[in-house]
Amino acid sequence: MSNFSSLEEAAVLVEKPEKSEPLGLFFWICVGWVGLNVFGAIFANVLPLQSPLTESFNAINAGPSLHHLLGTDDLGRDIFSRVVYGSRVSITVGIGAILIGYGIGAPLGMLAAYRRGRFDAILTAVMYLLLAFPAIIATIAVLSFWTPRSLLKIIIVIGIASIPLVYRVIRTATLNVATKDYVVAAKVQGATDRRILMKELLPNIFPIALSFFLIGVATIIVLEGALAFLGLSVNPPTPSWGNMINEARTVLSQNIWLALFPSLALCLFLIGLNFIGDRIRAHFDVTEVKL
Amino acid sequence: MSDDKLLVVKDLTTTFATAGGDLTAVANVSFDLERNETLGIVGESGSGKTVLSRTIMGLQPRLNTTVTGSSIIDGFEVVGASEDEKRTIWGTEVAMVFQDPMTSLNPVMRIGKQIDEALRVRLGMNRKDAKARAIELLELVGIPSPVERYNTYPGQLSGGMRQRVVIAIALACSPKLLMADEPTTGLDVTIQAQILNLLDELKERLKMSVILVTHDLGVVATRTSRIVVMYAGRIVETGTTRDVFYHHRMPYTRALLESSPKVSNKSHTRLVTIPGRPPNLLNLSDGCSFAPRCKFATDQCHLVRPELQPSIEPGHSFACWNPLPINSEAVLP
Repeated sequence: MSNFSSLEEAAVLVEKPEKSEPLGLFFWICVGWVGLNVFGAIFANVLPLQSPLTESFNAINAGPSLHHLLGTDDLGRDIFSRVVYGSRVSITVGIGAILIGYGIGAPLGMLAAYRRGRFDAILTAVMYLLLAFPAIIATIAVLSFWTPRSLLKIIIVIGIASIPLVYRVIRTATLNVATKDYVVAAKVQGATDRRILMKELLPNIFPIALSFFLIGVATIIVLEGALAFLGLSVNPPTPSWGNMINEARTVLSQNIWLALFPSLALCLFLIGLNFIGDRIRAHFDVTEVKL
Repeated sequence: MSDDKLLVVKDLTTTFATAGGDLTAVANVSFDLERNETLGIVGESGSGKTVLSRTIMGLQPRLNTTVTGSSIIDGFEVVGASEDEKRTIWGTEVAMVFQDPMTSLNPVMRIGKQIDEALRVRLGMNRKDAKARAIELLELVGIPSPVERYNTYPGQLSGGMRQRVVIAIALACSPKLLMADEPTTGLDVTIQAQILNLLDELKERLKMSVILVTHDLGVVATRTSRIVVMYAGRIVETGTTRDVFYHHRMPYTRALLESSPKVSNKSHTRLVTIPGRPPNLLNLSDGCSFAPRCKFATDQCHLVRPELQPSIEPGHSFACWNPLPINSEAVLP
């Protein structure tokens, strides 16, 4: 049957699997750091931390010490504890909102790119119209009037604002895959649309989706920080990275630590997320060349 | 007698609505295909051969495309059928082998699974049977150690191996008609012959018909029983392979044959080319589409389009006002 004179000859034709780009040590450091943050956010009330709300008039605007690792704020509250508790709000909003964005934006984006036609044209026009409107202004406007503010409302508003972004990324990624021959091949084997979407398209856009998910979380955390800075996020005294930075603004000359540590926490967390997202994209980048 | 034919194509026309106007990629194409026959569709780039092969199986793009005429595969009218209806013949009646094996396999799915899919979904096989059958198919298309290869990813296979996998997938549900759209263009020359021989062999073993779409006359020369020559979306000559090669009447066919390199030529002979370029399908003249490039063209050629007319051999017809003489000297690649 075989046209090869020998199996050995044929075996030569089977190439070694192409090595994909290694993730690198820094990637794992970032994963560790982001993981630590998430761990802290989840278990903040179980961990041996001081209460983030207990005021201590003996130590106001104190610098870092053994008792208060990162110092205290203008009401004598422990900054370390507040940074850890503050991550709860930031991370919850970040993940919660992007989940809403993906829950609605991703299926719509995939469907639009796969079906094309009028459905795609109208939906894309609407999404681009929404994109043209600055998300921050929209969220500020809605959150100013939708009171009393709660974590859930913030998540919903930012989540809805993120739908067009997710839609655009997923639609573009799907468009790229949907025109490939293997999708047509699956179709002429009699695969249903549903099957093509789930088995052919989804696995192939997954790396991009995951990568943008992480970058989306980072973007939303910044947005939440901005809202908190404007006093439009959760109400004090509940700490969030954003409102801590806002509070620090008034006492900047007496207490540099209060501004520094939440900013540092925010910054490092974002760098970690962005780097992980970027490495994942590069690692799973199945280019034609590699094929 | 048309019940006997596997495929009957009649007046098939595919029109795309583009920004520049309606583009007729395939115009009034009619031909038919017997069971267990290999037909070659030949033409240069943009002659509509790929669109034709896709339209025959109902795979034209959903958007801005109009298809008229009829394409009946084993009694099933493809034109006008819904996706759901066409899905009943895709895979089981007609399957397709693609041009580029680099893009016709899902890069993130093991090849075994890609063959399995069709077997499980279409034929309702269970996991174990499907795997056994998939391994059988891999062996059938000449993949060494199929049990191990079952679990490899496409990226781990060479181009020729991948094209074999693509063929295995196409054969999964034992189709009666295999559409091979330039199946060897993306492959090394040494692998090309292997794949073509494999297709030939499988056609005989599995008693199916094959439509071989190609721009390479060398590919169709020994493997097809009949040839359809296309130019600007129309059939310009059709007949048995022998007639098309030895008794062609259409100057375009001659020009195509002449532009194949010949072993008998002295070295450093300049390859004959067809002057000009394929016409813009958006504004075709009323005359013969080949007229601007044809050295035999007359005023009539530029003004009135010639219809297909029979030549002396049975089944051989051509569309030309000034055909080559019947016993013109044969030019062979």
